Amino acid sequence: MDIFSQQLINGLTYGSLLGFIALGYTMVYGILNLINFAHGDMVTLAAFLAITIAPLAVAAGTLAMIITLAAVVVSVCIIAILLEKIAYKPLRAAPRLSLIVSALGAGMVIKNAIMLIWGANPRIFPRNLFPAGLAKFSDISVSYLSVIILLLNILVMLTLYIFINKTRVGIAIKALSTDYSVAELMGVNVNNTVMIVFLIGGGVGALGGMLIGASYTTVTFSMGFDYGIKAFIAAILGGIGSIPGAMFGGLLLGLTYTFCSGYVSSAWANTVTYLLLIILLIFRPNGLFGRSLVQKV
Amino acid sequence: MKKYFLVLIMILILFCACNRKTSNEFVVGVQAPITGEYASEGQGMSNAVKLIVQQQNDEGGLNGVMIKVITCDDEGSPQKASICAKKLVNDGAKVVIGSYTSTATAASQEIYANASVIQTSDATAAVLTQGNYKTYFRASFNDDIEGEFTANYFVNVKKYGNIAIISDYSSFSSGLAGAVVKNIGLLGGNIVCNEKIDANAQDFKAVLTKIKALNPDVIYFSGYYTQSGLLRAQQVQLDIQADYVGGNATDNPQFIEIAGEQNAIDSYLVGLPVPEQLDYPEALKFNSDYLREYKAPVPSIWTVINADGLRVVFEAMKQVNTNDTIAAIEHIKGGMKDFRGLTGPITIQRNGERAGSIYRVNVINSDLDYETVYYDPVSGK
Repeated sequence: MDIFSQQLINGLTYGSLLGFIALGYTMVYGILNLINFAHGDMVTLAAFLAITIAPLAVAAGTLAMIITLAAVVVSVCIIAILLEKIAYKPLRAAPRLSLIVSALGAGMVIKNAIMLIWGANPRIFPRNLFPAGLAKFSDISVSYLSVIILLLNILVMLTLYIFINKTRVGIAIKALSTDYSVAELMGVNVNNTVMIVFLIGGGVGALGGMLIGASYTTVTFSMGFDYGIKAFIAAILGGIGSIPGAMFGGLLLGLTYTFCSGYVSSAWANTVTYLLLIILLIFRPNGLFGRSLVQKV
Repeated sequence: MKKYFLVLIMILILFCACNRKTSNEFVVGVQAPITGEYASEGQGMSNAVKLIVQQQNDEGGLNGVMIKVITCDDEGSPQKASICAKKLVNDGAKVVIGSYTSTATAASQEIYANASVIQTSDATAAVLTQGNYKTYFRASFNDDIEGEFTANYFVNVKKYGNIAIISDYSSFSSGLAGAVVKNIGLLGGNIVCNEKIDANAQDFKAVLTKIKALNPDVIYFSGYYTQSGLLRAQQVQLDIQADYVGGNATDNPQFIEIAGEQNAIDSYLVGLPVPEQLDYPEALKFNSDYLREYKAPVPSIWTVINADGLRVVFEAMKQVNTNDTIAAIEHIKGGMKDFRGLTGPITIQRNGERAGSIYRVNVINSDLDYETVYYDPVSGK
């Protein structure tokens, strides 16, 4: 039982991290039908920005964590908006394929910029940013960081849920994702709404990048690809375009992977995990929370 | 018309790009992971080769010919490795040092052998000498020997009851784990689990939690320092009371950084001596020259092993009085005995393996220094 609970916590923590990244993919896709391939690299960028900003913020003492988090999230939000303005907005009327190429290119530019600025060596993420230490319940040990990750996951999910359903901007996002052209005709400000979507995706992704850095200590300029792909799969699993879907998709992927390694076979964990996901998608092609797509001809 | 003109210009550029061979120089190639997660090792290799070559050039070159170094970044991956191998051969390399990982080394062996380019590396996977490539030799030791040494330490010296083994999918890590498992079996030790991790992942808590339930006395990992550091940190996070032992690729200063200083203390490392533990006069000189040139200490023993490989080639060419690679490799594999290497006396056998062994067990003490707790009973020291 202890082992089971421990694995549950392991899986939830890992899944939450994927969920933070998956959110950025799913929100952008919901509105623009675009897979923002540069998103994984934005997440990496957040981790590297934290490496630079954290030592400067240490002078502020106990507030260092808050200052660093805020500074990094704000910077990444700004870069995400710039990314949209430079790489995607001019192509909004162009075929989807051009947008995808632009996204891949933007990802490469960000990745290489990280390499040129911070170097190609793996970097150690600052240890003093998040509280270190372990909470122990009988045989289960939970790091404070895992607790923070889980709490943040719930907090982000609730905030976004209220934001999307109760605010004007949120309803505009919903309208745009339901029917882009009709919403536009009804007077929804497309440019501002798209900007806000990139802002939210970038901000939550930045949070994810820093939590990944803190959890696994080493960050490399190329790590965005691996996490990006896994988060992208989580987004599809949850139903791409659905915000709760991204979070639950992440959790499901994290839990499946963890329980496969723990109870089936660590050597087969990846194979078994993705096999289960394929089976799930056969029965629910639009993911857990996805709308079924009926296209009128 | 304009189109044809453009095409013509492009073809011309292509020709210019291809014909850059220089003739009157002896070219030494470095195929190493200059970027990526093993970058610290790759850069160490490249630095060491440049240092040795510079010293040789200061003495008037090799049999009167000046030496030039070309580096190619293989990122430790087999795909990039074969691209690098072709590039280095095209650029006229006669000797290639590389690569750091066994997987990347294996992917490039055939290309060098076909071009009669001497290749030497620090890679330790047993398969590397089983292909009978005539131009390959290594100054490092076969993993099978490390497997025997590790098993003996676990079963006969430490008398561990429950042994947990973890490896990744690289040819080096799985080969070493296989050798350790086989030898523990021969000595009658008890392996409670033999797990695999994905070296691209960073979260190994699921596997470690599974291991925790089996109450092991020791967790042994046969892969590289990046994952090794994370495993050790996550072992402490999960509060698993067992000794942690890393194989030879855990030896890198970044292991301590990644695991965290507090967590790294009391970790064991089975492997070769670290550079600071080498007390041969040649090694002391190499360490201090490297520090002076690069303002940083030698990153790991692998840097020294690679330097030794290159020194063996230079020495052989001087002894046979020609820079011909076939004559030199013949001499290395048959004629040279007890060359004074940085890592001790070097004799290369006919199959390209180095004779003897210099394994030991180090533990990271509370000052974060390596302390040797056990030597190879055969070689003594």
